[in-house]
Amino acid sequence: MTTVGELSEQLRAQGLIAADAPVAPVHNTDRPWFVALLQGVAGWLAGIFLLVFLGLVFRPESGGAFFVIGTLLLGAAWFLYRADRDAVFLDQLALAISIAGQFAVAASVIKDDLSGLSIATTAFAVQVFVLIVMPNRIARTLAALFATIAWAFTRRFLFIGELTPPLGWVLTWLPLLALAGWLVLREPQWMASSLRRFARPVLTGVLLGLSLGGMAAEPFSVMILGTESLGMRFSWWALFPLLSIGLALASAYGAFRVRSAGLLGFAVLAALLHLSRFYYLYGTTLMWKSVIMLTAGALLLLAGVWLRRRDPHAEASA
Amino acid sequence: MQPKVKRSELDALAEFHALDVRKVETMLELVDARPTRAEGLRFLGTCLRIAGVLSLAAGLVFFVAANWSRFAVFGRFALVELVLIACVAIAFVKPPPANLGRGAAFLAFIATGALLALFGQTYQTGADIYELFLTWALLGLPLAVAAQWSVATAAWVLVLNVALMLFCGWNPTGGLLWSIFGGMQFRPAHLVMGAAGLNLALWFAFEFWRFDAVPDWVRRWMLSCAFGFGTWGGVIAVTSENDALAGLALLAAIVGVAAYAMRRRTDVYPLAVVMGTFIIVSLVWLGTKITFSDEGVFLLMALWLIGTSTAAGRILTVLTRRWRAQVAA
Repeated sequence: MTTVGELSEQLRAQGLIAADAPVAPVHNTDRPWFVALLQGVAGWLAGIFLLVFLGLVFRPESGGAFFVIGTLLLGAAWFLYRADRDAVFLDQLALAISIAGQFAVAASVIKDDLSGLSIATTAFAVQVFVLIVMPNRIARTLAALFATIAWAFTRRFLFIGELTPPLGWVLTWLPLLALAGWLVLREPQWMASSLRRFARPVLTGVLLGLSLGGMAAEPFSVMILGTESLGMRFSWWALFPLLSIGLALASAYGAFRVRSAGLLGFAVLAALLHLSRFYYLYGTTLMWKSVIMLTAGALLLLAGVWLRRRDPHAEASA
Repeated sequence: MQPKVKRSELDALAEFHALDVRKVETMLELVDARPTRAEGLRFLGTCLRIAGVLSLAAGLVFFVAANWSRFAVFGRFALVELVLIACVAIAFVKPPPANLGRGAAFLAFIATGALLALFGQTYQTGADIYELFLTWALLGLPLAVAAQWSVATAAWVLVLNVALMLFCGWNPTGGLLWSIFGGMQFRPAHLVMGAAGLNLALWFAFEFWRFDAVPDWVRRWMLSCAFGFGTWGGVIAVTSENDALAGLALLAAIVGVAAYAMRRRTDVYPLAVVMGTFIIVSLVWLGTKITFSDEGVFLLMALWLIGTSTAAGRILTVLTRRWRAQVAA
């Protein structure tokens, strides 16, 4: 079974679709992950250039002016996506306009309240809005990814100082892990309903967010490498990057369940990134980190060997 | 791992034929789109074993970096050397491609780097840091080859490229590479393009001579490194140096890789990398050439990005579909 055409024939032969059912049209929006990545990054950058251009031309100063510009841009993006539903030609233009619009709307809200909570909640609300409204898979996937990260920061700033970091971590990531798990397990159910238009981008975005977003919920976290916490005495905070690696590996398993090599590769890269951050950033000495990694390595190997011994096919393939 | 029919195509089929849950489940079974429980456990087991080996390797590196004062110099060397010897011994007893042998050879490769780092740390040799990685890449090559494992190959490529990146980025005036290239009046763009060329040569070599230890994803990794350096060299060439030689070298690399990919008609990834490089370098070039008002610059750059990425996406999508259909036929 290799192509859509052959699969359609098989469905017909098994009586799953009518014998005289028309041939499903080929969708031009289907593209490999690296093409989506190239276009996504280019669209983002173009959106920022576009916003700078509009800012220089119109020089908006009030929150209202930003909001009007943002709303007009989002409306234009929606129209372009809608008009170009089954092709890709206007997608990039729509993506750039949408990004510029999102920034403008967000700027209108946070202009007078530049707090972490305000930025995070606004970003989350804008991304959820885009996820629901924009009739395009890549736009929805990007929105789901950024909504995931915005959610982590929103939770963090909302309960700052009120929750212990472990509880905060659980409250941040457990709902997202549950959402990803539910979407993976219930894939046939939502594929058979109109939810598929939202569920697929949400699943992809959440898996990407789980891979990379762990750093947003960690104590002492900064988004770039730094050395401010080197040499601290051991504390349990030192284990947080390992939790981020765990999130990335959970995402890798989800990617495997939906057989996505691109998502799997991203999750593995993210796990390695978290490991390198562990070396530079986190709250204990390198000696303790070494002990942690050696212990974790031994436990992981033991678990892997144990699973292999339970697999009846493993011996044959070895 | 990836089924031939993609998720987006399955979604489209389910929508077009208004399939119910049972029919969707059957369709997913037909294309083997959902792994069985046994496959899932096997994947988990493999993940855990690889993660275990990488964690042990990281633990060893962290230990050397910790420079623990309770161990005397002799003790530190003895410990890392014992690990190295033990790993090599295990790899001999259970030679790769057995999993144990692969893991041991990989750990021996990491231990080689740790030993070199410990040597530099202990005796303050004055060597540039790129020399550590370069020596590691050279001395570790036999172990990476012996491991017969894609993870070990990818790690070796990473170590080599870190060495090249440090050499090109810091442009030190000492060490092995500098003794070769230092007296030849090379500009930074030339050095960077040389690093790109080395990666490209590796990619071409493994495209022609296929090995299990250098699968598609590792070759893509090599190509990404090549065009990472290529993009860097191209940006230097069009901004600070106006270097025609580096520009021509990049152009030759782009044409060569594109021609090869078009001839093989199997994978569009090389074309995607080439197009990404072209988009970035041309965007920077455009930024340096435009002299009219600021507003116009930003609009033109946005439009250029939109136009080139749209064209790239369109070409790559069409080629993907066409080449997949040819393979299926």
